[in-house]
Amino acid sequence: MSFDINIILRYYPELLGGAWVAVWMTAVSLVFSSAVGAVVCIGKLQKYGAANRLATAYIDLFRATPEIVLIIWVFYCLPLLFDVRIGRYGCAIIALSAYGGAYMAEIFRAGVQAVPRGQTEAANALGIPIFHIARRVIVPPAIRRMMPALVNFLTELLKATSLLALIGVAELIFVASTLGSKTFAYMEFYTAIAVIYFMIIFPLSVYARRAERRRLRRTGN
Amino acid sequence: MTETAQNRTNGANGGEPIIVCREVVKRFGDFTALDAVSTEVRAGEVVCIVGPSGGGKSTFLRMINGLEGIDGGEIVVDGIHLPGGKKDIQNVRREVGMVFQSFNLFMHMSVRQNLTLAPMTARKLGRAEADDRAERLLDRVGIGDQIDKYPSQLSGGQQQRVAIARALAMEPRVMLFDEPTSALDPEMIKEVLDVMRELAESGMTMLVVTHEMGFAREAADRVLFMADGQILVDAPPERFFSEAEDERQASFLSKIL
Amino acid sequence: MTRVGTLAGLVNRWGFHAVLLALGALMLTNLNWPLVRSFEFAFIWEYRTALFKGFGITLLLTVEAGIVGILFGTLFAIGSQSPFAPLRWLVAAYVEVFRNTPLLVQLLWIHFALPLVTGINTTALVSGITGIGLQAAAYYTEIMRAGIQAVPRGQIEAAQALGLPARTRWTRVILPPAIRTVIPALLNQNISFFKATAIVGMGLLVDDFFNSTLRVSNDTFHFIEPLTFAAAVYLVLGWQAGRWTLRLERRLTRGER
Repeated sequence: MSFDINIILRYYPELLGGAWVAVWMTAVSLVFSSAVGAVVCIGKLQKYGAANRLATAYIDLFRATPEIVLIIWVFYCLPLLFDVRIGRYGCAIIALSAYGGAYMAEIFRAGVQAVPRGQTEAANALGIPIFHIARRVIVPPAIRRMMPALVNFLTELLKATSLLALIGVAELIFVASTLGSKTFAYMEFYTAIAVIYFMIIFPLSVYARRAERRRLRRTGN
Repeated sequence: MTETAQNRTNGANGGEPIIVCREVVKRFGDFTALDAVSTEVRAGEVVCIVGPSGGGKSTFLRMINGLEGIDGGEIVVDGIHLPGGKKDIQNVRREVGMVFQSFNLFMHMSVRQNLTLAPMTARKLGRAEADDRAERLLDRVGIGDQIDKYPSQLSGGQQQRVAIARALAMEPRVMLFDEPTSALDPEMIKEVLDVMRELAESGMTMLVVTHEMGFAREAADRVLFMADGQILVDAPPERFFSEAEDERQASFLSKIL
Repeated sequence: MTRVGTLAGLVNRWGFHAVLLALGALMLTNLNWPLVRSFEFAFIWEYRTALFKGFGITLLLTVEAGIVGILFGTLFAIGSQSPFAPLRWLVAAYVEVFRNTPLLVQLLWIHFALPLVTGINTTALVSGITGIGLQAAAYYTEIMRAGIQAVPRGQIEAAQALGLPARTRWTRVILPPAIRTVIPALLNQNISFFKATAIVGMGLLVDDFFNSTLRVSNDTFHFIEPLTFAAAVYLVLGWQAGRWTLRLERRLTRGER
């Protein structure tokens, strides 16, 4: 069977556009996920009380629900429920951010709790005010420890944007499907987007794994 | 200011009580770790606390700078009453320095940064002043040339000396040592004990939980024996190591010495 | 004793709760109450046959993921340990391709592009089964590989020293502890695939549980009730399965102590 590479080249602006949408959606969702995740994490770190229980409920809720179910639910139900018009991009971001927030909360929590207790104790014993303890003693090592998990989450987010095609967001799969039905060059286009996704996600995944191995090698830190 | 201000009468019955403990109690659930402990530490005194593991020594030390809460009785440090509010604890911590068994250096910061962080944030020193103080203290503990290294690049003995310098950078009136040499390989214990000895001779008030009986015999003004949450013996080292006042002290000493 | 929990004391505890209450109030006031009042859940019961059939498909795909995954995952994992380099690379390439591309892309490729090569037109369900199977094999290979590498080197060397043939070495010495180590990971991965089956339904228009629910919505023009119901089902099942797996994991590691 023949593989017509020219057809991919002819339509590469559309494909690039789709890739751009995917990347852009990932970036925006990442930002909102971080914000939501930070808040939920603070709630979860409280020792007891309503905040802790709410945060735990939030995390359990959004990690147990399939992303696709969440995306479809937000798309169909949220506008009706609150009688507002939310465009597909808005729905997409809301769904991905809600879902991502739960994951980020856990990543933040793991990062912060991994800072050895002795360091906070020493900082306390030195009389350093809490704000500075947070900023200089806890956050820097926490972020470094979180990096592999964060990059890994980034790849999950990128893969999740592919699901947005099902609500009509013009990302890669949507573009490829449209072009495919127009030209019947399904093989070329679907292969092309598979390669594009792979080229974006694979380096990130390798980085995350290498960073994680490097960290472990630095003697059980 | 600095070290000259710490030239008080060396040990013995020199200064006023800096730390006063009255009937201090600590409980962990049903377990009573400290049972109405009372004692005093005067300015310039070097007090060593020895005893079997689990006897409450570390817990007692950690209550003095508020790392553990007080369940009963009171501790007065430099005029500040504990249990107290957050402000009181902050004030105590500024006057009391602590050296931990596991050093607890900030691993992601250089030695210099480890030493300057607290003076700059808690005592509001400028960078130049803080750097200056850091350099002098590191020279004093003998590792001035490591100032820009990271803790992971230093040996255990060096790290603990950095930890001592870091605590001294806050110019505390009292230094607490929680088994400072227990996590060190034998060949590195001496360098840390030497620093502590120099510190004692310079007139610093020190409270040291340790298993190093040699250090206790030579540098301490008083030795406390703690077991089962109580101070069973409080005596100067000459008497402590020659006559046993308590049977548990006797059996402990026979196992150690 | 200050921990990060008190750091959140920065976020005034009452302020935090106040914000939450405000958000809740905002949501409630903006709710489309007439719509909520018009909710009916009864018809979900009327469509129960379709929904049960859909759930059956979901279950089929989930179980298939588990079985194909473990079988081929183990096989490929063994291959990844082979001294024959090209085999290792092949397995690695396979795993990387299927883990670093979205499932939906794979499904669409198998359903629309593959037939152009093989000349065989697969039904949506068959495409879905193939796609899930291939993904499962890739993910489970990684898990089994980790399990195999966690087996202490010494045991493998002992088996070799005893002259055990490869087949026995694998089936009696290496695989049993490997599998035991990764059982929780395998179960969690299967829960992930349970969630992924919804993608098969929506992407290829297979009548799984979720797609069936959506079709009920389209049929009745009531979207919120069925979709929320479906979400709740996935939620409860996934959550319970997760908790059960956690309990199992705890029971397994307790034996190791």
